[in-house]
Amino acid sequence: MNNTPRTLNRILIGILGLKLLAVGLLLVALATVPAAASWWQQWSAGVWNGMSQLLQRTSIPGRQESWLWAVLALLLAVLIALMVAWVAQQGKGRSSLILAEDDAEGLPGNVRIGGGVAEQALRAALAERQDLAGATVATYEVRGEPALKIRLQPRQGVAPHLLAADVSALVEALDAVVGKRVPVLIHIGTGARSRFSRAERVR
Amino acid sequence: MNNGTDVRSNGSHAAGNGESGAVSAGSTPDPRGAGMRRILDRETRSSRAGVAGIAAVLVIILCGYGLLEAGVRAIGQPPWLIDPQTAAERIIALPQGIPPLLLGAIGAVTAMAGLFFFLNAVLPGRRARHLLPDRRAGVVADDEVIASALARRARLAANVTQEQVMVVVSQRQVVVNVRPTSGVPVSENAVLAAVLDELRDMAPEPMPEVRVNVATSGVIGA
Repeated sequence: MNNTPRTLNRILIGILGLKLLAVGLLLVALATVPAAASWWQQWSAGVWNGMSQLLQRTSIPGRQESWLWAVLALLLAVLIALMVAWVAQQGKGRSSLILAEDDAEGLPGNVRIGGGVAEQALRAALAERQDLAGATVATYEVRGEPALKIRLQPRQGVAPHLLAADVSALVEALDAVVGKRVPVLIHIGTGARSRFSRAERVR
Repeated sequence: MNNGTDVRSNGSHAAGNGESGAVSAGSTPDPRGAGMRRILDRETRSSRAGVAGIAAVLVIILCGYGLLEAGVRAIGQPPWLIDPQTAAERIIALPQGIPPLLLGAIGAVTAMAGLFFFLNAVLPGRRARHLLPDRRAGVVADDEVIASALARRARLAANVTQEQVMVVVSQRQVVVNVRPTSGVPVSENAVLAAVLDELRDMAPEPMPEVRVNVATSGVIGA
């Protein structure tokens, strides 16, 4: 429902996983296979030679330190910033408006209905139900269009299809009030409150 | 078990039911259009937000340490933990300088972490949820909710207490375990019929098959 970048998550997690896997397998191979150890020492010594020569060639005039260290520090700082940006993308997509339209052609201005209207109305309607341990309503933006997510936590033993039918009748009433059919998702789930509360025995 | 055919016929029925549900969802664009389909697809799969957070924090910690050492080196200060030169030399000499058991253990732990991340990225990441049909809204129900509804129905059909019924709902299977009260027989077919009836009303997608196990030993004093 939210705009978490799922493909990006999969790609980045996959890259990190492959790298960690490769490093781990290399370490295991070094610890167990003698041939791998001799190959590693030769190969990595060659790589380090090349790198240290490069570091010597790029030293800052008048000093012995290489300016590559500063570049490396900068690159790492950029990588950290990218990681922070990536984390900030998770779970985004809440919006505050359920409707924003210019329905009167001739007149200036447009109509905006806040998501709070739907949230308050539905929560008030659901508050009296005995078979619910909790209900939350949130407005999200899906592909630029507003959408409602209704999260219900029924008590144990409540038939989800009957609950969904009741709530979708409420949603249809809301459609009539708002004047537009907004995509609605009803998520019937469990939480701590519904899990530990008493099962409803009479219905 | 004489209800084997029963279950199998239910399975084929379920497959047909699922297809017709998909077709009806496609042919009636008004209540549940392509956007709704996408929302439902996203709701039944994990977003991997948590794993992404762990991965980002891991990379940030590693990069932070590298940044510190590189920065210290760039301005010509003494290193904080280890000089890059010394570190590189130790890494080159690797099987030496560290007990092989420790090295192998570190490698194994790293590889396991890598495998965890990799599998998280590659596997479909399906959540334990089913879609329910609805005229107006897209409905997603956690398997736990479906299980508790089925358990209630099975309990009423078997006439036992709540603790004597356990229902496990997975993507394609519902297992109903009933422990009868000692001396009071429980009709397996009655429980199966009740659960199937409830499932038919609920019509979750994908439709799971039902298996009922009645325990041979009963519960005393329930």
